[in-house]
Amino acid sequence: MMDLFILGIAEIFQWRILLIILVGVVVGILAGLIPGFTVAMAIVLTLPLTFGMDPVSGVAAMIGVFVGGMSGGLITAALLGIPGTPSSIATTFDAYPMAQKGEPGKALSIGIWASFLSSIISFLLLVSIAPQISRFALMMGPWEMFSLIVVSLTIIASVTGDSLIKGLIAGLFGILIATVGADPISGISRFSFDLQTLRAGIPFLVVLIGMFAISRLLVSLERKELDKDDAKRAEEKLKDVRFVLRPIHTMLTVLKKPGTLLGSSAIGAIIGAIPGAGGSIANIVAYDQAKKWSKNPEKFGTGCEEGVIASEAGNNSTVGGDLIPTVALGIPGSAVTAVLLSALMVHGITPGPLLIVNEPNIVGGIFFAFLVASFWMLITQFLGMRYFMKVTQVPVQVLVPVILVLCVIGTFVLNNRFTDLYILIVMGFIGYLFTKYNFSLAPAIIGVILGPIAEVNLRRAVMADPEWTLFLTRPISLTFLILAVLSIVFTAWQNYRTNYRLKKNIS
Amino acid sequence: MGEILIGVALIALGAVIYFQSNDFPALNEVHLDAGSFPKLIAGLLILLSLMLIIKQGLVLMKSKSAGERQGAGERARDFYKEYKLVILTLLVFFVYIFLMQFIGFVVSTIAFIIFTGLLVGSRAKKDIMVITIVSVAITLGTYFFFENFLNVRFPSGIFF
Repeated sequence: MMDLFILGIAEIFQWRILLIILVGVVVGILAGLIPGFTVAMAIVLTLPLTFGMDPVSGVAAMIGVFVGGMSGGLITAALLGIPGTPSSIATTFDAYPMAQKGEPGKALSIGIWASFLSSIISFLLLVSIAPQISRFALMMGPWEMFSLIVVSLTIIASVTGDSLIKGLIAGLFGILIATVGADPISGISRFSFDLQTLRAGIPFLVVLIGMFAISRLLVSLERKELDKDDAKRAEEKLKDVRFVLRPIHTMLTVLKKPGTLLGSSAIGAIIGAIPGAGGSIANIVAYDQAKKWSKNPEKFGTGCEEGVIASEAGNNSTVGGDLIPTVALGIPGSAVTAVLLSALMVHGITPGPLLIVNEPNIVGGIFFAFLVASFWMLITQFLGMRYFMKVTQVPVQVLVPVILVLCVIGTFVLNNRFTDLYILIVMGFIGYLFTKYNFSLAPAIIGVILGPIAEVNLRRAVMADPEWTLFLTRPISLTFLILAVLSIVFTAWQNYRTNYRLKKNIS
Repeated sequence: MGEILIGVALIALGAVIYFQSNDFPALNEVHLDAGSFPKLIAGLLILLSLMLIIKQGLVLMKSKSAGERQGAGERARDFYKEYKLVILTLLVFFVYIFLMQFIGFVVSTIAFIIFTGLLVGSRAKKDIMVITIVSVAITLGTYFFFENFLNVRFPSGIFF
């Protein structure tokens, strides 16, 4: 445990890496505050830039983007009342009214402090929990790994999107995408349909760029969305926001509500650790819970301090939670950490329970990059706020083509293969259809990354012992499978209940 | 309606994967060969897609009797108005990628940014200036960065 920290500190506290994290945080904040530009998109586009770096600097840069992005949404949420990213929807409930009442500076700085302090809390949770989980995970054989992936995928499918069936379909589709190309055990070429393009498989990152970046851009080009954007800009021009940030004063305000801060951070960290559930869910749940526990819930929604603290603490603490399964089990909790894992794979490092044992410097580096990024976020947000605001003015007509080009560059740089660009455009279109019909993208992406691991473990398990009942008789494996069934049954039951109530209300 | 079409497409995909999986050369694996896992996943996908189709079909039948009907021509016009830019951008994007191998990264990218920018937004003189400057700066900036620092060779085409 101690050596993990020492290695981490040694890796991160170098001028070059500190600077890289700072740049990452600034990029993340910018991505977070531009509506329509999500954190996942930013991190996907940062990845190609990190190929030339060593693994630790690359991962550090991406964690900077992640932390910055989670707090960047606050600016647009507080000043304009529109969430800059899906993770700051609940932030608009109280931060915007507070800004409307003439205290935009207060709303912003409370949000910044809540983001910072909750990041620190989730950092402490991460460093204390992740090593324990991975120690436990080392005892797992291929049976347990397979069952763990099954349960992760069913949980992802049940927490995201609007229907369980669609979530599961998306997950299976992701797994099928990953089966194209060479079979992971015997190397037989599968499903390439004699196309040169598909022989090498469909690279995970191309799927990710297509589904998350291109499809999102296509959505923003729909007439409805463009009209919304125009209306918003017209409104924005009328406003000339002036504000004073009072860092010390607001820090005390936040610290005076330790219950809200700790509670929301814990909720955020737990939700972050669940595969598939991230900032967008944590933000709303933390706000909702804080309202339930509050002594005066009627003040929520009118610009109260607790509301801002709860929502911002909720989304920023997901970063630490999200990193727990990523580091300890090699199972990404979200699209963002999925990119992080694939960055490690690009450098030839295999994520999984052995990561902490084999590459302690990388794990320590991830921990401390997160800590450093939180401090940078605090500093840059207070110093740079005035300049960041200007970025919301970038018009769609510049944003869309530029990001499309960055997607093309990212895809091309990955393998230097021209044909990947055609896969990119197809994936973008599929991702767009998925979003149009409310299939959530997260299970598909996690399916692509976990599918091959599931297959390898399934086949290894059967090779070691052809008795398939071992999946049911080994206690840990059985627990995971029961959890998988429960998550499906529970979601189905919940859906049934809400439908039943709706019908009852109508009649 | 769209969901049903997606469901049908997924079933077709599942079927293709399932039957292709039978043809892989078997090595001396006794229990699970290269085709077993994809077969399992394809089977599950077909099953779930069927469930989706049935579910959506029921919803559709209920709503059809209640909902008012629009003329087909009117609907097509609304659809085009709403999705015009999405379709055009996808087309332009495809042409851009296709042409890149012939005319090179730099030229095609500058042209693509300007063209898409004007397609999406206003065509006032000032905006044309802005988008042109942005396109040249972004293209040359990324080109030199990647060629020099990461040693990536972009498609060069006939010009560069």
